[in-house]
Amino acid sequence: MTLLAPLLPALPVVAGGALLLVRRAAPAVALLVAAVTVVQAVLAAVVRPALTFEVFTGYQAGLAVDGLSAVMVVTVAVIALAVLVFAAGEIHESEGRFFGLMLIFTGAMLLTVTATDLVLLLMAWEVMGAMSYALIGFRWRDPGRVRSGTLAFVTTRAGDLGLYLAAGGAVAGAHTLTLASLTTLNAPWLHLVTAGLVAAALGKSAQLPFSFWLSRAMAGPSPVSALLHSATMVAAGAYLLLRTAPVLAATGWAGPLVAWAGAATALLLGAVAVAQRDLKQLLAASTCAQLGFMVLAAGVPAVAGGTAQLVAHAAVKSLLFLGAGAWLSTLGTQRLAELRGAARRYPLVGVTFGIGALALAGLPPLSLWVTKDAVLAAVDDPVLSVVSLAAGALAAAYAAKALITVWLPAPEQRDAAPLGLLERLPLPPLALLAASLGILGLPALFDAWARLLGAPGPVPEAGELAWSGLLALAVVLLVIRARGAFGEIGVLTGWLRLEPLAVAAIWRPLTAAARALARFDDHVIDGAVRTVARAAKAAARIARSPFESGVDGLVRAAAGGVGRLGALARKPQTGQVHTYLAQATVAAAVLAIVIVLVR
Amino acid sequence: MTGMNENPLDLLPELLILLGAVAGLLAGLFLPRRRQRLVGWICGTALVAALAATAVAAFRPDLMAFEAYAVDLPTHVARATVIVATLLVLVLAAGWARDHHREAELYVLVLLAALGTVILAGAGDLLVLVAAYLLASIPAYALAGFAKDAAGTEAALKYYLMGAFLGVLMLAGVTLLYGLAGTTAYQDLGPVRSGAAGLAVVLLLAGLLFKAGGVPAHFWVPDVTEGASRVVAAFVTTVPKIGAFVALLRLATEVFAGLDTGWRPLIAIVATATMTLGNLAAFHQDNVRRLLAYSTISQAGYLLVPIVVAGRTELAEPALLFYVAAYAITNLGAFAVVLAVGEDLLAGYAGLARSAPGLVLALIVCLLGLVGTPPTAVFVGKVLVLAAAWDGGYAWLAVVAVVNTVASVFYYLRWIRPALQGAGPATVSRAAARVAYLAVALSLLLGAGSGALLYYGA
Repeated sequence: MTLLAPLLPALPVVAGGALLLVRRAAPAVALLVAAVTVVQAVLAAVVRPALTFEVFTGYQAGLAVDGLSAVMVVTVAVIALAVLVFAAGEIHESEGRFFGLMLIFTGAMLLTVTATDLVLLLMAWEVMGAMSYALIGFRWRDPGRVRSGTLAFVTTRAGDLGLYLAAGGAVAGAHTLTLASLTTLNAPWLHLVTAGLVAAALGKSAQLPFSFWLSRAMAGPSPVSALLHSATMVAAGAYLLLRTAPVLAATGWAGPLVAWAGAATALLLGAVAVAQRDLKQLLAASTCAQLGFMVLAAGVPAVAGGTAQLVAHAAVKSLLFLGAGAWLSTLGTQRLAELRGAARRYPLVGVTFGIGALALAGLPPLSLWVTKDAVLAAVDDPVLSVVSLAAGALAAAYAAKALITVWLPAPEQRDAAPLGLLERLPLPPLALLAASLGILGLPALFDAWARLLGAPGPVPEAGELAWSGLLALAVVLLVIRARGAFGEIGVLTGWLRLEPLAVAAIWRPLTAAARALARFDDHVIDGAVRTVARAAKAAARIARSPFESGVDGLVRAAAGGVGRLGALARKPQTGQVHTYLAQATVAAAVLAIVIVLVR
Repeated sequence: MTGMNENPLDLLPELLILLGAVAGLLAGLFLPRRRQRLVGWICGTALVAALAATAVAAFRPDLMAFEAYAVDLPTHVARATVIVATLLVLVLAAGWARDHHREAELYVLVLLAALGTVILAGAGDLLVLVAAYLLASIPAYALAGFAKDAAGTEAALKYYLMGAFLGVLMLAGVTLLYGLAGTTAYQDLGPVRSGAAGLAVVLLLAGLLFKAGGVPAHFWVPDVTEGASRVVAAFVTTVPKIGAFVALLRLATEVFAGLDTGWRPLIAIVATATMTLGNLAAFHQDNVRRLLAYSTISQAGYLLVPIVVAGRTELAEPALLFYVAAYAITNLGAFAVVLAVGEDLLAGYAGLARSAPGLVLALIVCLLGLVGTPPTAVFVGKVLVLAAAWDGGYAWLAVVAVVNTVASVFYYLRWIRPALQGAGPATVSRAAARVAYLAVALSLLLGAGSGALLYYGA
């Protein structure tokens, strides 16, 4: 059963690699592999396989499924299956490439959440980043998509450097790479490792100040967004922080920092979401905001609540993105203004999207209402509490804005294509999950959940639950009353101008410095090398005239002399026997004289 | 001295070769022309059996048979080398002499000459030495004129006249030494104090230098190599040398050492003259057979170096034995390439790299082997020879050998260069090419396994 640990991520990765090469019957193979992976994930969650090996001399590495990993692998596998079913209906171009990349992407995420050491984690982390680049730029012929992929990749990559820093710090500080032993690190190394982990996780989870790459990630096909925003990629950052919550707590400073980063993201990106005019952009900003609650949970820490939030959000957000994707493919638009009435045209999508949106709004008794409060219950700092509550209210606002827009009657009838079976199939189960995962909040179930994760946390209190539910309800009603019409603030619509800011503050100075260094290299260093070469050639020219011709002449003279000797050496070989005999006799006589003389 | 040893089985390898020759001759008399190939098989089988007998004998203690024939390490090495070289020659000859009306004679003559060579190496008595000299020479004269063409006949006559003249000198030397010492057995030859001993050394050397192809008895080598058939040339420039040098080693350690003469500087002069003359004369040869002939003369010069220091250093014997075995294999490989291509002029090898790359590789390995390039066997032999010269107090001779080696690179490369350039159609004899590959493999194996071989030999 130990074999299950490597097999779980290996199956999708190998199958994906094979699909990239063979490109035959890609959707069928991908669905089969995804289904088997779900079975494997459930099995792994029950059996809890663990595998340890020595990755470098003296450094242990391994794969293991513990409580947190068990939750993660099942979530990842189920969401991946649902998204792939939808994709099988929607993607009809370069199927081998698309499904191959998606499977490798999923496998990398599975490896990320089961790795027990920084080496495997780092490898999976990097593969996931590379796959996200390839998937965001999937339709690379369209202008701008590759640039979006590159921007997303470079931004997350910048954060990823933190993970290398963390691995280096762990090796230098404690000669270990396992995640479990990070808490035993001593003072300078502990802070270094933690800073690296936090940077990598915030980058991957699109928290402030990295949030803008998620806006760019919308350039990918809808199924990619559905997977990338729910159970993989962004979830990896939250997972890493939840996994290393004890390390964060050990430093003293990292917990509050992470908590505040999460809360700030939840608040500011919530405001950004409210200001969006594009459904996918709205959902993207809401992803940042919702992940903010998970990051907050890791900082507080409230691992049980954060994980519950992660799972519930994965179901909700994949559902919403699939709905948005369905409308994009049938109506050909993702602009909110043009999506009016979309829900009425496609009732199934409309109803399931509505359930997802209401869950996102935090309305009771749906899932996110409970999980968010499970996080908030652990927040002690009153300021942080208020910020989080405000963020929750904003969540209700943007969710309600999306909901009311699609359910408002359409001004005019637009052409619309019918929706395929495969695209409708995953929506009801996801909606069911989005609605029902709130039962985790029942005190008895929450205890079991916390025991499963090995992280006891406060149960959401009834009073708080009622209060936040009422607040969400009020906000939703207000927004519906206002028919989702908000005055739009440019800064918010433009994602806080984070991307231009990053370009101006980091990218431009970097390229300018690179250009300056290149000029230095070309003129100063290269110039010095060229000067040396020129000087050497000049010296060689000076040396050539008197010396080399002398040496050359010597060699020629020697060769000529030896050649003449060679001709001389052939002289005795006359071809006539009598001269041979005479020469032999003379030589023998000479030798006889010699031996008599030299004795 | 422990009683006389007269067990004929101690000479089993020699007897097996003789048996093969006699059986082959008898069979050849009665076989129709088309079936004479059978004689080749008989001779080959006899050689393989002799090789097996040699291997068995090598694990027995050294002894002196009939007080006239030494069965020791030099003899074992000479036997094995001669047998392997003769087997290679037989394969080459079988391809050339197919359906010749005197095919059987060829195999028998080769076998008899090889037998003479082995006995030359093992001789522990001056009279046995003379008999072996004749047995090794006379079949070789016949072989040189085997083709019955003008060039072959001339070559045979030159070979014979040189051999007869120098053989007579050697006989005179034997007579002189017998007169001085009163015995012809090496082991009984005590210290001789006489001015005539020096003359005896020169006269004895005359005959053995003829077999070895050294200056001043080298004149036959280029003419026979060019005039006789290629197979015969390969044989007479390779196999008799083995016996001659082992006999020289034995003479130097057992006979010359007891003579009050300056034989070491004398042989050193001969060695210098031989290697220098051979190399210089090879320089601008356009005929590969003459080139190889002069190359064998220069190799004889290197081989004389350990004779100079024989008895003075432990290294002399292994150096000579290893070098002679390595040289025999490598030289045969080069001749096999000549046979495979069938061209005598350097220009005929143009473009061979295109049409027969494997053969060119074999040629390169053989020629660079003759230069003494690692990892071939001759390299190890040459290192041992130089070390022996240095160790024996003849450092200047080592320097001469190194200078000569450097000079020799020139003419070997002159042969390789046209082979790598241009393009020309060439038909290649498969059997000879296979012999060349085998020789190359043996040379490389011997080079790679030299450490183990020398260790167990010691």
